[in-house]
Amino acid sequence: MNIIEIGGLTKKFGDFAAVDNMSLTLKEGEIFGFLGANGAGKSTTISMIASLLRPTKGEIRFLGKNIAKHAHFAKMNIGIVPQDLAIYEDMTAFENVRFFAGLYGFRGNELKARVEEALSFVGLGDKHKELPKNFSGGMKRRLNIACAIAHRPKLIIMDEPTVGIDPHSRNYILQSVKELNRMGCTILYTSHYMEEVEEICTRIAIVDHGKIIADGTKEQLKAIITDSKEIWIDVKSVEGLNQDRLKDIRGVLSVRIEEQRIKIQSRAEIANLNDIVQQLIRDGMEIRAVEEQAPNLETVFLTLTGRNLRD
Amino acid sequence: MNTLHIAKKEIVSALRNKSTFLFMLAFPIALMLILGLALSNAFSGSIEIGDIKMAYKIDRASPALTAGWENFVKAAEESGVAVEPLPPGADGKQAVTEAQYAAFADVSDQGIAYYDNSRSTVESNILQGMLTSFADRYNLEAAFASAGASSQAGSGGQAPAQLVKATSLTADSQPNSMDYYAVAMTTMIALYAALNAASLIESERTRHTIVRLSAAPVSKAEIFAGKVLGSTFINAIFIVAVMLISHFAFGANWGDHPAHVLLVLVTEVLMSIGFGLAAGMIFRGKSSHSFLLIFIQIASFVGGAYFPVNDFGGFIGTVSYYSPLRWNNSGVIETVFSGDTAPALWAASYNLAGAVVLLAVCMFLIRRRETI
Repeated sequence: MNIIEIGGLTKKFGDFAAVDNMSLTLKEGEIFGFLGANGAGKSTTISMIASLLRPTKGEIRFLGKNIAKHAHFAKMNIGIVPQDLAIYEDMTAFENVRFFAGLYGFRGNELKARVEEALSFVGLGDKHKELPKNFSGGMKRRLNIACAIAHRPKLIIMDEPTVGIDPHSRNYILQSVKELNRMGCTILYTSHYMEEVEEICTRIAIVDHGKIIADGTKEQLKAIITDSKEIWIDVKSVEGLNQDRLKDIRGVLSVRIEEQRIKIQSRAEIANLNDIVQQLIRDGMEIRAVEEQAPNLETVFLTLTGRNLRD
Repeated sequence: MNTLHIAKKEIVSALRNKSTFLFMLAFPIALMLILGLALSNAFSGSIEIGDIKMAYKIDRASPALTAGWENFVKAAEESGVAVEPLPPGADGKQAVTEAQYAAFADVSDQGIAYYDNSRSTVESNILQGMLTSFADRYNLEAAFASAGASSQAGSGGQAPAQLVKATSLTADSQPNSMDYYAVAMTTMIALYAALNAASLIESERTRHTIVRLSAAPVSKAEIFAGKVLGSTFINAIFIVAVMLISHFAFGANWGDHPAHVLLVLVTEVLMSIGFGLAAGMIFRGKSSHSFLLIFIQIASFVGGAYFPVNDFGGFIGTVSYYSPLRWNNSGVIETVFSGDTAPALWAASYNLAGAVVLLAVCMFLIRRRETI
């Protein structure tokens, strides 16, 4: 069954269309990845699903019901983990979760049990009496999640839930997302980290300029890019590299630099590796490794949108 | 239920904020103590009787009333109170408004219509007392006369002088410096409630918790009502605390009608919260705090927070009437020291009217926004 059905969704701010005639469906039990660069329209779409913004045009249905007409039903069954930490620093972890869960009508022992359950789930059960100001970034992120799940929503919207945290906490959160999904929650997940999306999402939509430009499983998306390849060349230093000359080589589509790694996207059918290596040697690069990559999500994203996800 | 849930959270947060205690409790108590002690001489309670001038107009009066009134005028003048007939063509009420006279009495067989200037509270009280005594005495004499008793008995030239004596104008009925500043500081911190109120909604925005509140099955009206309720409650608690401390620690007099006094202060808090919320929504961010601080300081200065403004005329005198502190101070002081609850009820009515308008403006602004 579809948990979310979006049809002809448009949101305009003045003349600017942040979301432009978007249509999309999310099936129950999915972990759905929502990929897009800054300003692509992800957050605006999420805000409309969470009833934070009203669509200019179009419709969103939650479990078959129009959320504009059944806002209470939708809100009771949706939990949101905002990108920015949304917690009260002057209230303990327990009080934070209790306050937000209380807004869903739970009181007394039931409320207490749900709060304890949510805190235990994110691994903060033993920290429930502490103030978030004493927490690490990762613990705050986990509390941010606990506040969104205590009312046991059917759909959890997670907007960049791992921004700015250590690898241990990130791993904990990713495992939590999978566990929530195993428990029956549908997850709508946005991230700038392509590897996270590849690891946990069962289906992915790529958003650009307010439109869905591709939608499918990882394999389906990668299959879109059959005519390009990516070559990674590790060098001692990129100082002196002339990117324009590299781009002039036949078949080269784009060149990106990531620290000491040069990432070159090229047409698959053209054998140009020798030309590329020779050009790098002429530029004085000391080559340490050369690797040809199969298309990944990042390649797909770059090919479809023409920009890097972190732009 | 969600309104109470949100209100409870507001109260808990406020009680955990040390600066709230400092600002709402320590600040007014310290200021009350400093001003109350430093300016105690300015509240000696004495007044030069010779300064009091009252105008009167007498027409359609019986000969007996005319004679009795003339005796009253004579006796009053002997006591140093100038009671003068209103010059022909002059408007008595206008003359009082312009502070040419402390009061104006329109005397006829229908009774005495009395108009005073609330800028001259003490003078007005004296004149009102004298007139009340005169009216009582005159009614008594009329009753004797109609009963056939001698209208001369116990009256004549002696009586009017006794009239003046009959009105009790003891020092206890006027506020001393501590009484005055206890009231003034309490009404001032009630006005300061606006400052916290300005960030009631905006702070949710800066903490990003507005997202969770808006995504929860809670209406904007419930969130708004919870915020206002919680803030009003916590400010009322601090006000009661200031009243109790000023009473038990400094002996400030809060009169015999504490419920009426509290009504004035709580409604003032409600109005201040409405004002603060509206300012917070219109100006947003720190500029709302700057605006409110400037407004509150001016309102406090001209409204009598730092010194009594009853005797002020001219521009400041006129401006002071627009300060919420002015009508709240007057309402509380007059209720405490005259025992009359009407001034408190009037002040509370003004506050409530202001609160209704301001909170309605806030609700209108909130409804226009997509998220609260």
